[in-house]
Amino acid sequence: MGDRLTGKVAIVTGSGRGIGRGVAMLLAEEGASVVVNDLGGNLDGTDASASPADEVVAEIRSGGGTAIANHDSVATYTGAGGIVKTAIETYGKVDILCHVAGILRDRMVFNMSEEEWDAVLAVHLKGAFNTVRHVVPYMIDQRYGRICLFSSGSGLGNTGQANYSAAKEGMVGFARSLSRELVPHGITVNAIYPGGQTRMTGSVPDTARELRAARGVIGGGQMAGRALENSQESRDPGNNAPKVVYLCTEAGGQITGQVIGTSGWPMTLYSSRHVIRSIHKDGRWTLDELEDIVPSALVAGLVNPAPPPQPEGEGPTA
Amino acid sequence: MANRLDGKVAVVTGGGRGIGRGIALLLAAEGASVVVNDLGCEVDGTGSSRVPADAVVSEIQDRGGQATANYDNVIEMAGGESVIQSASDAYGKVDILVNSVAIIKDRMIYQMTQEDWDEVVNNNVKGVFTPTRFACILFRQQRSGRIVNLTSDAGLGAVGTSNFSAASEGIVGLTRTVARDMGRYGVTCNAVSAMARTRLFPGLVSEYREGGAGLTPEDVAGIGPSPAVIRWEGAGSPDDPENVAPLAVLLCTDSIPDVNGYVLGIRGGSIYLYSNPQIERSIHKLGQYTMDEMDVLVPKMIATGMGN
Repeated sequence: MGDRLTGKVAIVTGSGRGIGRGVAMLLAEEGASVVVNDLGGNLDGTDASASPADEVVAEIRSGGGTAIANHDSVATYTGAGGIVKTAIETYGKVDILCHVAGILRDRMVFNMSEEEWDAVLAVHLKGAFNTVRHVVPYMIDQRYGRICLFSSGSGLGNTGQANYSAAKEGMVGFARSLSRELVPHGITVNAIYPGGQTRMTGSVPDTARELRAARGVIGGGQMAGRALENSQESRDPGNNAPKVVYLCTEAGGQITGQVIGTSGWPMTLYSSRHVIRSIHKDGRWTLDELEDIVPSALVAGLVNPAPPPQPEGEGPTA
Repeated sequence: MANRLDGKVAVVTGGGRGIGRGIALLLAAEGASVVVNDLGCEVDGTGSSRVPADAVVSEIQDRGGQATANYDNVIEMAGGESVIQSASDAYGKVDILVNSVAIIKDRMIYQMTQEDWDEVVNNNVKGVFTPTRFACILFRQQRSGRIVNLTSDAGLGAVGTSNFSAASEGIVGLTRTVARDMGRYGVTCNAVSAMARTRLFPGLVSEYREGGAGLTPEDVAGIGPSPAVIRWEGAGSPDDPENVAPLAVLLCTDSIPDVNGYVLGIRGGSIYLYSNPQIERSIHKLGQYTMDEMDVLVPKMIATGMGN
């Protein structure tokens, strides 16, 4: 057992399975006392079960670590309050928050229901607010904290995930601003683009992946330079853990307000969105002027990530 | 009156004031029939009034254009459906959707209530989703459409506005995915990060941005602070929300159809193209990293130059 986190208390939401479980286990292995939170629901958020969280706690304890289960939902303010209360009442404080809990309700935007929108935003983004809002007073009080909000490369653009992309990139905006506010209090906040073969990614049918590829839809992750993983071992969700846990150590506090990719073998640092081209005028632009200058100067060479199919007889059709 | 959008039908949410009003006016000036939607609420989202939407409709009609008012609340699914339906009813179709609703409730995180969060995120992000979701049904059928989402650079990091930051960057994520859901149907969906003096941001742009500790969103974006002295020629002023309209309306025309899923920005006479986030640094190994390796490699290779 390591000792980088001896004496620290961590909360990991969604740690009954997959990526969250890996993070919780490694935090515990490094000496942290861990609140293993999981609603134990289905991938779409329905139902609930105590088993996933309880099993991870048992596994941690059998390895000599310290953990306790919590089964509250991050999606409600009171639920998140319950999770933090478990940490405070059991261990007296909280130093680390990893918000990994997530559900999927994929649908093309023109078919997406209100319920699909609301449910995904609630667990991921409202869940981030709920958990952060409850831990922050304790972290400010002790002038120390490490927060990792699990976002997704989907925020860079995907299909069938308008709700998920909005929630996940919203998480990035939240993390960047929280970092500005909280760094003076000794608290660091980062967003994570994770990955791996989990219940969630396994749910995306191969047919959907093939369809995207056949139609030439360029995922935002591909545009960012994220290599497609190939080997089975690289897709183990546990591969995320060392990188996330590093960010949760004292030394890891050097990194804050960033988007860190932890998928597969590599660890990556993503840039923010920067201005890369600009045009200037000492006055209000007219449409005539913009039509002249924008195509050649501002947007030249930009690729449409989902172009319409070519007309008949002009290359491959979708 | 120019004629780039003759025969087109546009819906502008939040079109009763500020940036939305400027866009509605220019769309109409280019020949589009415009549904001016505005709940007419306060900056914090409370209340409602028909006055803002009606005033813009009158203004458009006085200038010889076509417009009708709509007062639906697009935070609600029914409101989003209704605003698109009303355009269909009035003009027979929809070609363009500009989402320009936003409210603001600035608080430090440790003082932010649930309501502060919910109202800003719902209004600003769900308020973009609902009309988009229904417009996309029509766009898919007709194999064409233009969507422009107004957002901000708060999501690049701003103090005391983490709800608005989350919502602003959430709109960016939504934009990128709607672009990919709809691109194959000949639709483009882009975001415009606008900096102008409006009810939401009532100071001069240059003044407003001062006073935050450390880097501002503009610094992070690579734009930097507004110049102290700006020479301005012609209509309006550097902070005028009407400056935003030409860029937004350009994205509603057919002149740049490959621009899909991008974020552009505008401040006064400056127009920007933002990058897609890129992998800037990476470390690789054939196998899972150990914590010992993390201790050595991360400060050296990932965190280089980070000041914290």
